[in-house]
Amino acid sequence: MSAPVLTEQALPPVPAAPKRSSWSGYLRQPIVALSVLVLLVMVLMAVFAPLIADEPTGAGPEVLQSPSGAHWFGTDDLGQDVFAQVVWGARTSLVIGLAASLIAIVLGTTIGLTAAYFRPVDAVATVVTDVMLALPTLPLMIMLAAVVSPSVWTLTLIIGFFAWPEVARLIRSQGLVISAMPYIDGARVLGATGWRIVTREILPAVVSLMIVSVLLTASRAVISEAGLSFLGLGDPDAWSWGRILLNAQRSGTIAIAWWQTLFPSLAILLLVLAATLAGMRFNDNRDPRRNGG
Amino acid sequence: MVRFVLSRALKAVLTVWIAITSTFFLLRLLPGDPTTLMVEGDMTPEMQAALLKTYGLDRPLWEQYVSYLRELIQGNLGISFRQIQPVTDIILDRLPWTLLLAGCAFVLTVAVGIPIGVTAAVNRGKWLDRALQGFGISANALFVPSVAILLLVFFGAQLGWFPIGGAIDPDTRGTAAYLSLAHHLVLPVLSLVLVQLGPYALTLRTNMIEVLGEDYIRAAQARGLSARRRVWKHGLRNAILPALTLMGLQLGTLVGGAVLTETVFAYPGVGRLIYEAVGQQDYPVIQGAFIMLAVTVVFANALTDMLYAVLNPRIRL
Repeated sequence: MSAPVLTEQALPPVPAAPKRSSWSGYLRQPIVALSVLVLLVMVLMAVFAPLIADEPTGAGPEVLQSPSGAHWFGTDDLGQDVFAQVVWGARTSLVIGLAASLIAIVLGTTIGLTAAYFRPVDAVATVVTDVMLALPTLPLMIMLAAVVSPSVWTLTLIIGFFAWPEVARLIRSQGLVISAMPYIDGARVLGATGWRIVTREILPAVVSLMIVSVLLTASRAVISEAGLSFLGLGDPDAWSWGRILLNAQRSGTIAIAWWQTLFPSLAILLLVLAATLAGMRFNDNRDPRRNGG
Repeated sequence: MVRFVLSRALKAVLTVWIAITSTFFLLRLLPGDPTTLMVEGDMTPEMQAALLKTYGLDRPLWEQYVSYLRELIQGNLGISFRQIQPVTDIILDRLPWTLLLAGCAFVLTVAVGIPIGVTAAVNRGKWLDRALQGFGISANALFVPSVAILLLVFFGAQLGWFPIGGAIDPDTRGTAAYLSLAHHLVLPVLSLVLVQLGPYALTLRTNMIEVLGEDYIRAAQARGLSARRRVWKHGLRNAILPALTLMGLQLGTLVGGAVLTETVFAYPGVGRLIYEAVGQQDYPVIQGAFIMLAVTVVFANALTDMLYAVLNPRIRL
């Protein structure tokens, strides 16, 4: 819900994948280490959710309890444990975030690179990208999600399908720089086909930008999923952080039970912040001008 | 100039047309199409066929598309499934509230973002600059409903300074009504501004730093102009233009944020309407709301581009 973190101007003119030594340098930055730690904890929480807490179902007798030793994050108006809801919600957020971002990266990279190398494609791709970027994305996703029966997979498809334009724009602008480099001319002179040049010569040069895009797109996808779930368009069979907020909204407990909204909100904030910071630091790190080549 | 305005308006129309066309066909390709949503399960096949005929859904796809476009151009967005009322009327009833909310958030973001961005750029590396960078990056992780709920709980429920929902107290008249309107607007607008402000001020800061390194700023310095005049007169004028374009591009997320904020504060705009329509599966209202919001955003964006051309003396049209 904010400005793109990466602008085309922010890209280094010459791309370079981080060398092995800079990987450890990357992880040794305190902010990066902390972000990676948060991401790891979230992943473990999602994978081992059944071991951490029972899946919240049905109603319990302890209604609207504030946080205590028995219920760390308190309980909601049905007596369900909010901690369990947050733990199980991590699954939905992470699965949708990652899967949607992979869809967006594959689509965006394909379209961006094809546009960068094949001139006729560029005109069409640019128009389509511009149109997609000009539209209000959330209302667009709402409209589609309202028609299909919402499930984790339909949401993933919808979110992934509308996240590619920003990736395509980033990859295209980087691809244009590389297409103009002498070694691409060299490959052409040697008789390489367009397909070979795009996949073997240009693609490797944008891989590190793709890694950054995965993290940043995934964080946007998590926010989108939470937004759709909050509006009642989430998977009714899967817990999600947006759904916990929706339950508080529907039952009118927002103003009374602060714990029901605070903890899922913190989960969203932590996950997205960690992914964004890790992505941005990775982007800084791959800039050869700052690393001295 | 006239040519530029016309071509920019044409581009906006084209964008809206592509959006409407692609969503029209996409929606009919998806598994759960609107006809099955509308037709209740316990109807006889004859009744279903009759209902489909009434809405023209039995005709070939391209015929449906042509008549859909014809109706759209005349401002007809169909009839709501739940309220027997034209969708256009329902949405036009709500749209002013969303425009008021988003407009106030827009103006406030720019009004507060400019001084913060410029001050941070001038005092690079100082505390304000550092705070702005941290805030700008973490704003990316702010989830609008979370911010809205936090404000509602703290300033609305706990402190009781502001109302926790609605847009106006219906019992007020005259000046009191305007005050009540503003009073109800504070928290929803603040939720949007908090999310938008950081990235906006950060962009302005980056532009400003670039501009302050330009030759004409040094020339101004050599001519003996005061620092204040250099920064606020010569610098800002050049840094603000790219920031204007950015703000135009951000209108889509601003509207998306408004949908979520309105839901939290039960604010009677299009966003709250969408939330209600989702709950009632009122499909034509959801589609109509998207089209109206898309048209609003695309044309507002075109307007900022035109404004850019008017303000930028380097573009001679």
